[in-house]
Amino acid sequence: MASSKEEWQRYQEALRQGDKAAAATAFQRYLEAKKAEGKGGSRPTLVNLGTKAKDYPNAIPLEDIPAVMQEKPEFFDLLRRIAGK
Amino acid sequence: MPTVLALPDFDLSTRCASGWLLRWILPRLEPAHLFGILDRRFAFQFFAPQSDIIIMTGHGGVDVITGQNEAVILAVGKYDPREVRGKVFKLLSCQCGVALGPDLIKNGASSVAAYVDDYVWVTDADLASTPWADKMAATSLMPVIDGINALLDGKTAKEAFTLELEGYTRNAEIEEDELIKSCLEFNKRNAILLGNEGATIRARPKITLPFAPPPILIPL
Repeated sequence: MASSKEEWQRYQEALRQGDKAAAATAFQRYLEAKKAEGKGGSRPTLVNLGTKAKDYPNAIPLEDIPAVMQEKPEFFDLLRRIAGK
Repeated sequence: MPTVLALPDFDLSTRCASGWLLRWILPRLEPAHLFGILDRRFAFQFFAPQSDIIIMTGHGGVDVITGQNEAVILAVGKYDPREVRGKVFKLLSCQCGVALGPDLIKNGASSVAAYVDDYVWVTDADLASTPWADKMAATSLMPVIDGINALLDGKTAKEAFTLELEGYTRNAEIEEDELIKSCLEFNKRNAILLGNEGATIRARPKITLPFAPPPILIPL
């Protein structure tokens, strides 16, 4: 298995290309690699302080991110701004 | 002099952000602490004119910041300038630096530190009852705490803002988790300081923190 760093780079590349399916798969693999390395809290969750006007939830468990990024275009855009540089 | 510290507490993100302010900032301030159900517009209207600094967390957007259950506290064009005139603002929320921050400055606020995009971080949901023990959240929220404490020490808005940015940089450099690192860099890119960079508030007494047992939070 590749390291979480390598999987993260694949995830970033997929974000840059705007490929939701590839980004979701890459993020899933990143989480698996991180788990194999023994990192992360017991229930890590990505949170934000946006209002309900957004199309995505304020708290998304990391394991749910691949599904949410495919369903919610605004969330995918947020992820691109966070990590797709 | 009461100090407005707005702390909604109704979901994981407000619980976490408010928890850090409760643990590290509240003990230095005179009440009025708008915690939980007290974080409403009427309480803000009552206390804000008497406060030299207004520290708020809560869900927000480009033109609004909200309190408990997303009740609107401040929205562009919908407040009395008396509530904001001469005050130093710290808005820990999403996107308030886009329109709300400039509107506060236009209406007489001394300075506004906010963010022009979402404020994001990774937290451990299992630590919702003791958010200040969350080391993942600390990477992002501790720089905010350091910046606010600098204001309370009497430093200028610019000095406090720089301290927060340096905190993100320092934590990102040593962070091994790529997602957390990206969140730190994202928050740093989106932090903005508006108004008078030399603005200061009355310095509060320095105390060794944490000096008291942590607050008790009921489970979400």
